[in-house]
Amino acid sequence: MEKISKSAKKKDHEAKVSGQALYVDDHVMDNMLYGRLLHSTKAKARITDIILPALPEGYLVVDKNDVPGVNRVAIIVHDTPVYAEDTVEYIGEPILMVVGPDFKEVERILHEVVVVYEEQVPVLDMRKSDTAFFKYNYAKGDIDTALAEADRVFIETFQTGYQEQAYLETQGLIAYPHAGRMTVRGSMQCPYYVHGAVAQALGCEGKAVQIIQDVTGGGFGGKEAFPSMLACQTAVAAKKANKPVKVIFDRREDMEFTSKRHPSICTYKVAIKNGEITGMDIEVLFNSGAYTTLSAVVLQRGLICANGVYRVDNLRVAGRAVKTNTVPCGAYRGFGAPQTFFAVEMAMAHIAKELGMDSLELKEKYIVKQGDVTSTSGKYHFHVPLPEMIQRIDELTDYRTKRKLYQNQTGRYRKGIGMSLFYHGCGFTGSGERDIIKAVAKIRKNADDTVEVLTSNADIGQGLKTTFCKIVADTLGISYDQVFIDNPDTDRVPDSGPTVASRSLMTVGGLLRRAAEKLKKEWRPGEEQVIEEHFVEPDFVIPFNLEEFRGDAYPTYSWSVNAIEVEVDTLTATTEILGAWGIFDVGVPVDMNIILGQMQGGFLQGIGYASMEQMDYNDKGRIRNNSFSDYIIPTAVDVPNLVTEILNNPYTHGPYGAKGAGELPLVGAAPAYLEAMENALGTNLNKVPFTQEDAMSILQEANKR
Amino acid sequence: MIEFILNGHPVTSLAKANARLLDVLRAEFSLTGVKCGCKEGECGACSVILDGRLVNSCMVAMGHIAGSTIMTIEGYRETERFAALDKAYAAVSAVQCGFCIPGMILASECILAKNPNPAEAEIREGISGNLCRCTGYNAIVQAIQSAAKEGQGLW
Amino acid sequence: MVNSYQAVSLKEALEIRATKTVIPYGGGTDLMLEPDENANYLFLAKVPEMKNIVDDSEYIRIGAACTFTDIMESELAPAILKKAVSQIAAPAIRNLGTVGGNICNGSPKADSALIFFATDAKLRLVSSRGERVLPITEFYLGRKNTSLQADELLVEILMKRTGLSNYYYKKVGARNALAISRVSFAAIFTINQGKIANCMTAFGAVSDVIIRRADIDDMFIGKTIDEAKNVKEEYLTAYAQAIVPIRGRISAEYRKAVCMNLLRDFLASNGI
Repeated sequence: MEKISKSAKKKDHEAKVSGQALYVDDHVMDNMLYGRLLHSTKAKARITDIILPALPEGYLVVDKNDVPGVNRVAIIVHDTPVYAEDTVEYIGEPILMVVGPDFKEVERILHEVVVVYEEQVPVLDMRKSDTAFFKYNYAKGDIDTALAEADRVFIETFQTGYQEQAYLETQGLIAYPHAGRMTVRGSMQCPYYVHGAVAQALGCEGKAVQIIQDVTGGGFGGKEAFPSMLACQTAVAAKKANKPVKVIFDRREDMEFTSKRHPSICTYKVAIKNGEITGMDIEVLFNSGAYTTLSAVVLQRGLICANGVYRVDNLRVAGRAVKTNTVPCGAYRGFGAPQTFFAVEMAMAHIAKELGMDSLELKEKYIVKQGDVTSTSGKYHFHVPLPEMIQRIDELTDYRTKRKLYQNQTGRYRKGIGMSLFYHGCGFTGSGERDIIKAVAKIRKNADDTVEVLTSNADIGQGLKTTFCKIVADTLGISYDQVFIDNPDTDRVPDSGPTVASRSLMTVGGLLRRAAEKLKKEWRPGEEQVIEEHFVEPDFVIPFNLEEFRGDAYPTYSWSVNAIEVEVDTLTATTEILGAWGIFDVGVPVDMNIILGQMQGGFLQGIGYASMEQMDYNDKGRIRNNSFSDYIIPTAVDVPNLVTEILNNPYTHGPYGAKGAGELPLVGAAPAYLEAMENALGTNLNKVPFTQEDAMSILQEANKR
Repeated sequence: MIEFILNGHPVTSLAKANARLLDVLRAEFSLTGVKCGCKEGECGACSVILDGRLVNSCMVAMGHIAGSTIMTIEGYRETERFAALDKAYAAVSAVQCGFCIPGMILASECILAKNPNPAEAEIREGISGNLCRCTGYNAIVQAIQSAAKEGQGLW
Repeated sequence: MVNSYQAVSLKEALEIRATKTVIPYGGGTDLMLEPDENANYLFLAKVPEMKNIVDDSEYIRIGAACTFTDIMESELAPAILKKAVSQIAAPAIRNLGTVGGNICNGSPKADSALIFFATDAKLRLVSSRGERVLPITEFYLGRKNTSLQADELLVEILMKRTGLSNYYYKKVGARNALAISRVSFAAIFTINQGKIANCMTAFGAVSDVIIRRADIDDMFIGKTIDEAKNVKEEYLTAYAQAIVPIRGRISAEYRKAVCMNLLRDFLASNGI
């Protein structure tokens, strides 16, 4: 184990374990008012009237008419209203906020507001949508010839459903005006995203806005863009009331109305000649929901991964993110990759079966190597450790033997084992890091020779406070206790970019490493010194052109192999997970416990995505699973000890060799689980979540035959 | 007026009998270590110890606890047992976002109070009502196992 | 306490029940899901006559305010009951939830009520007017609708002392903890001198009320195992007709399939 990987006591351990850490709902301010949003109850309608009840003294209603600046939330394409205007486009769209000093009274008033809707016909099925928010196509080689010359063309469609982040702390913010400025604090991943959005909604200059991230109880992408909208709504309310306003979502509200993982439908046409895969023609459809938010980038990432870890010289990928009158989908750990990796891994498994091979046997023939061309005609610049990872997983699980053993079972309990091979592109897709984010990080040495880390990245549980301080301390050769970091406050920290895309450790950590190296050289004891570093794109990167969809989509990749073993009880169609194993290459772990914790947490989220986390909406467009009793996430008794191992594969351009880590562990669990279910049930499967009911349908069909 | 023992001290709440214990602890007694994750008894973030038993404070009406004893994380953190759990959780970095943690710590206490040497299955059963979205549960289970081992004589 | 009451004796509880409009509150785990601001609760956790688990010459008597944890820790409680309550939700809910609340809430998903149905338990309902004992099968009028009178309290559940040791129980939920039953099945089977003395089954979570068809189960009474095999298909067909799952989030086909599979497995486990 590398020295840097040795685990440190987390900077925020004490505050959190003792219950002293203050999350946004723990803050109470003088004269603070409570706000509750009124959400649309129709999926598509014109608002023809809003009838307010009499408002007691001190209570007010805030809506589109109160937005001083632009009534649009600044998220990429600014189409999301802060408060709904004449129409509503999904059940949950915020129409107004009731604000007042007593929470129960606010709720009472809220229930008396009457919105008169003129209902229109919503589009709920993504296949029937006539509005594509985003379309991308790319290709390499000659897929049409490959298809024409094929002996067989394998065609199959795969589906994935919603996934709800289900962070334990719901969305929440407090906005308070003071001295001509507006401060918004709370649960978030990207303080500067919120900053830009609030300034735009208030119609004021950036320096009139301050954003502070509070201790945040989980995000997983769900607090990447959504807080920008809530912040605009709350800031507008605070401005109108001229008092602090706190808005905390309750769990049902959060589950029904906040952003989720895009459901997908992917169709693979694979050309096969002489038992070889000669080309893939892939169509990807993502359900964006009612507004664009982050769909462009989610789609981009999904399309880049569409051919998985496989060398496919003749490739065409076409993708669309379409509008439906449902909750806008956004970021969730994996960000488009879980959808297409699921599809490509299952496609390969099914092709293998058709060719009379085991899936791993087929997959191994096509695994990319260092130097190979990527899907978007970039390059795999670095070593691809999949073969040694497969070997290790086989050692741990006896995968190859069990695959054969578990075929054709007939008893009550049927076992299965499945494997998946996958990667996660490290950092922001394409040239965004260089052209849009332009990250700046600072470190300040105080006169007492303590060093403060100044970045805008948010510790949301993934341990950034700890890893950032470790990097700086180790580079400077000083004690870890001499380095500290506060929750980001835009008044004090530069914009080092958002906490997304598995970029914080690799990219911002890299800036901190450079800053610390510089400070070490220039260190003057007893003096205050500030070092600033700016992002520079590594020189080996082949620039990515979005128009052509060509180049290095990512500077490097993190790699993984997962295996999952299951046992199905055919009487009840319930499935026990007997084992779950993952090997992960994140370059070099900057803290072993933190990295293992991230791998285990992401892995379990992926297992939930595959098996029990079902969410859908009814024929009116209303999400029905709106509580923890209806949206099922794994408990401690639903899974055994997850076996997670790290394989070091240092990245030349990451601090201490580190690469992106946060999202990788969620990406490949679903196909490993489904392949295990296929092994147990003896049939091909093509959708996640694959639930008890789905398993029972398969078993009953088999019984009939 | 509802009288009960809170973290070792007799107190009187002005709340109505059908107010939620969770709301009263957080607002009236400023015990913000007791978290609200769902208000439906499905996540365990609001766990407290009532008369020696782990309960979800969101599911408890004030009238139910008149005359009873309540311990929250704020009371528990003063104990030696907490110190052992604190050390064990720190050693494996089991605390990620932290929102489930006060509840997990109290659940850990209840597991070890019942059996100072629990098997893994018993530990998992004991925290089965505390949802964690960050950790995958591995590190938390390990922390409780090591607290049991290192904390011989405490439970 | 204003308008709500914490009773410390059964007498006190019955007086309040007779004279005030109150909602009996056992553990609160159903009531607190959607609390009524204006409800007047009668808190029963401290009524000693409702917290006993004792036996007499005929019955095991379980106090209605006993929590699921109380039952798990009791030496007297029958194994089938312990098995079922140990799978309810999670420890924190089991420490609060009571068998009385579980029964009186009237849900067909109630896990302990299923056992009481399957074992032909009786309910002792008491008011200041007197008391009545009736089979649990007669207590339910429909979904979430029981025949509990406004001045009555369920004080005890009376279970058979013997004959419950050969049991079958299965709960199927969406996950292994914190799961509301999607299908639940409990059964008792006893043989006396080569003949089937008892066959009692009940299905939960599939209909408006727990399904208990003693008339169908009676097909086996008095028969040997071999004779029972001859009526097995008739028995299964009768249940296939009797179990009509109501429409819900989980498909009727799934629940029906699970019920029939479990029923067959129960029979097979007893040699039929």
